[in-house]
Amino acid sequence: MKNIFKLNYLLFAVLTLFVFTACEEDEAVPEEEEEMEVITDVTLIFTPDAGDVVTATAQDPDGEGVLDLVVQDEIKLQSGTSYTLTFDIMNNLESPGEDIGDEIAEEDDEHQVFFAWTEGAFSNPSGNGNIDNASDPVNYNDSDGNGNPLGLNTSWTAGNPTTAASFTVRLQHQPDVKTATSGANDGDTDFELQFRLTIE
Amino acid sequence: MCLVKSEIRPSSQGKCMCEKNTSHNSLIKSCCVIYFLLFLSLDLQSQDTCDKTISGKIIDNETNNPLPDVIVRAVSNSQVFGNRVLYRSSDKFSISDENGKFLLDSLCPEEDSLVFSRIGYRDSLISLDVDFWTVSLTETSVELENVLISDEREKNLGTQTLSQQSIILEDQAVDRTSSLANLASQIDGVTFISTGSNVERPVIHGLYGNRVLVLNNYIKHGFQNWGDDHAPEINIASVERISVLKGSSGVRFGPEALGGAIIVEPDQMKLRQPYYLNINSGYQTNGKGTNYSIKTGKGFKNFGYNLGLSYIKIGDRHAPSYTLTNSGKDEKGLNLGFHYHLKNFDIKTYYSYVGIDQALLKASMFHSGNAISRAISSEIPLIVEPFSYDINPPSQWVKHHFAKVSVDWWYNENDKISLIAGRQLNKRKEFDIRRSIEKPIIDLDLTSTDLMLEWDHSFSDNFDGLIGLHFFNQDNDNNPGTQTTPFIPNYNTNRYSFFLIENLKFGKNLFELGLRIDNEDYNVRGREVSQNIFRDEHSLTNTTFSIGYENQVSENFSFRTNLGSAWRTPNMAELYSFGSHGFKASFGFLRYYYNEDEKLRTDKVTIMSESILSPEKSFKIINEFDYNSEKNKVKLTLFSNYILNYVFERPIGLYGTIRGPMPYFIFDQTDVLFAGSDLTLKRKFSKNFNSSLTFNYLWSNNLDKNGKLLNQPPVRIEKNLIINANKFWKVNFSEITITPSYTFSQSQAPMTISPESLINGENNITPDTNIFDFKDAPDGYFLLDFSWKLDIKDFTASIMVKNILNKKHRNYLNSMRYFADEMGRNFIFNLSYTFRKID
Repeated sequence: MKNIFKLNYLLFAVLTLFVFTACEEDEAVPEEEEEMEVITDVTLIFTPDAGDVVTATAQDPDGEGVLDLVVQDEIKLQSGTSYTLTFDIMNNLESPGEDIGDEIAEEDDEHQVFFAWTEGAFSNPSGNGNIDNASDPVNYNDSDGNGNPLGLNTSWTAGNPTTAASFTVRLQHQPDVKTATSGANDGDTDFELQFRLTIE
Repeated sequence: MCLVKSEIRPSSQGKCMCEKNTSHNSLIKSCCVIYFLLFLSLDLQSQDTCDKTISGKIIDNETNNPLPDVIVRAVSNSQVFGNRVLYRSSDKFSISDENGKFLLDSLCPEEDSLVFSRIGYRDSLISLDVDFWTVSLTETSVELENVLISDEREKNLGTQTLSQQSIILEDQAVDRTSSLANLASQIDGVTFISTGSNVERPVIHGLYGNRVLVLNNYIKHGFQNWGDDHAPEINIASVERISVLKGSSGVRFGPEALGGAIIVEPDQMKLRQPYYLNINSGYQTNGKGTNYSIKTGKGFKNFGYNLGLSYIKIGDRHAPSYTLTNSGKDEKGLNLGFHYHLKNFDIKTYYSYVGIDQALLKASMFHSGNAISRAISSEIPLIVEPFSYDINPPSQWVKHHFAKVSVDWWYNENDKISLIAGRQLNKRKEFDIRRSIEKPIIDLDLTSTDLMLEWDHSFSDNFDGLIGLHFFNQDNDNNPGTQTTPFIPNYNTNRYSFFLIENLKFGKNLFELGLRIDNEDYNVRGREVSQNIFRDEHSLTNTTFSIGYENQVSENFSFRTNLGSAWRTPNMAELYSFGSHGFKASFGFLRYYYNEDEKLRTDKVTIMSESILSPEKSFKIINEFDYNSEKNKVKLTLFSNYILNYVFERPIGLYGTIRGPMPYFIFDQTDVLFAGSDLTLKRKFSKNFNSSLTFNYLWSNNLDKNGKLLNQPPVRIEKNLIINANKFWKVNFSEITITPSYTFSQSQAPMTISPESLINGENNITPDTNIFDFKDAPDGYFLLDFSWKLDIKDFTASIMVKNILNKKHRNYLNSMRYFADEMGRNFIFNLSYTFRKID
């Protein structure tokens, strides 16, 4: 009998432990995270050798929410002028906004920006860009550790004046996929934006 | 002339049919009993001293195969109470050898009965008539026909009138790397829905996910039960028996059992059992997988234990024409249980652990419309690499701890009070292909606690029941460091339940009535994409019922019917999901609303009390007809399930996103109706040859959205041919099973709209668009499987060949069907050694 009593105490202890730990009031809120997946604003910055900087922004105001993407500006370049194109890639849902561009630069061996434009809009590079064919010319100024192009910094010389051209940028995320020959359809798309292009 | 009186442990079933089912080279015994012949030989020297000897041979009446591993125990003072038999167990027991023979000696006169038990079966008792003992002083040989070892076990109160079938793993050629869902799918009406080769969840009559309750050792398996890609983490090596309840069993087991329940039981740690040791190893060619397990246990007079360890490692599987890159798996399991017996108390403790690291197909993870479009339209997966054991993102990492303590107090011969406590910790991390790939995108700790108090009572032989109180608590917490907004919020749930089940018997009729009341409260804390905090608190009360009837019409024919209700609240993903996950973007029920211009908006979280959301409620009626004769067996199950406020996902439109145009989905509610049938026909052509045919049909209809439902099991026909042989060369028993099956294309699949046609504007979707799929339902396919099981002394060897024809096919219920074919031919070799010792 004695043993039974002892055992009962033990069981009682175990069960109360279960109950008490279960009933602990818990109000913990998930900690704030630096959201690295969402991109809301992409700004193209065309910096000429001399003269005014041209910017064009596309904004997805609520990130993954249902509001549509808005391409806010058209790109207006001066014929014959040489520009360096850089990007400002942000998640502005958080305040302050997160700079996703830094993250992409850090993982340069997994990313590449591809371009497409109306043929003839630029005198250099020639052609219509490397989205349709990865080996077509684009003047990349940066590369990853493997010597493959990245595209966060590129050079452009505007061609003859036009008002009906377009300019498309596509950032591909290509972990374990990016090679010297990988193209704009390999991997997943982080952003794909089409702007109207005017050359004056 | 036969003086031996055989007394079967009475059951509500009465005598029912032996279901030596043949599907999938397996032995499925449904409700009842196995017939066998018993030859007893007695050599009784005197009446008063403990020096009597009894020996016998146990053979299967169907196949004439000797039945090994039956434990025969001498008992005294046996008495029958209602549907229970009580007896005083002696220390004397024997185990039938590979020839089915057993011998018990030094028996005392008061030990007047024998109890037969076999792993996975309910015990049965034969009382040896006192006269018989007296008369049979000389050696006698008597043949007892139709002595039954009932495998009915205690059908759970509240589920006796439900269609219920079990699989005992010990008896089968089993691929020990299969999932719970895959094994359960051997039962007709059960199939599984999968995400690749590793994640498989059971589907009962078209319902799955948290519409099917998974009970691990009678405690609800506490896991991240949402999405199509989360399977219950059950370590198959520790499982002795899997039972499927095909009716709504919400009253007995609580919310979520809308479609039914799956009960997984480990070794029950019976007392007075011999020491056993089972060592198992296996190899499979597809995925170059290996698996090992070891199980051991013993039952002493007042104490029993079990212990098991297992390990599985599988690399990339291959489809007939390419490697399924990143489809490997690594699983480790441990289980340990103790059983103490103290006078009127039985105390059991059980702990199990399973750690799983499993990969998902690499070519399946895209977020942008154009990448998905390319992946879906491609003939072969976009990423195919050489074979590897590596597990890279996308992958899942889970550790599940399970602990249970139960105390049964038999305060009366026929009445029992049980106190059961369970505690589970489920840690899950998921990795996606994304920036910061090394960080999990989902990192959750889920703690579940169960406390149950049950009173199992019997007012008379014909009137008994179960009354219970149940407290259930879940606490889900996000671990920081995912660099993404939590997909599932933090939450705490408390549920208090009361249930009552009573059984009444009138002759061959059994009535079963049940009632349950649940009160559930939630406290939810999450973050929006802006990292603003949202909170919600909510509580609701719900009542469920069940009515069942069973009639043993004649010796050969029985009928049962059950009408049961069940309910569940939508899960956290259905309520709070936001944005793209996998290959579509969807919004949970509380994450969208329509503004004053009737425009869909997702900028705020609706709190539950302001939402029009209602809990899902189901009413399922299931009828089962069983016919059983010497040569033919027919089982027909007809069911219909009406579900109110069924939560489902539907397309809502195409939106421009920074990744390009994407189709969006929302979770919505509707009423649905399911109906269908499972038919099994079995025929025994001769002692060594039998066959079975199974036909499953399900019809489903979405009642008020005038649309179809996605992912419903297609019609399937399966044939089994079983050939067995005894005693040749050194083989005790050999069984060959050939299983051809044909799965039809799903003719009720919704229309198809390809992602490409959405992106390029050929098709447009609006809130009025009916349910659609991105790809046509795959064609029907014919598969041929084979297995051969051999028993040689203490060894059991098996060879299974799955998909012998190496047929290239896609399974409608596998979400990877968009991207890749199913696995090709697979040879599975298994060798197991079992040692039993009586001391």
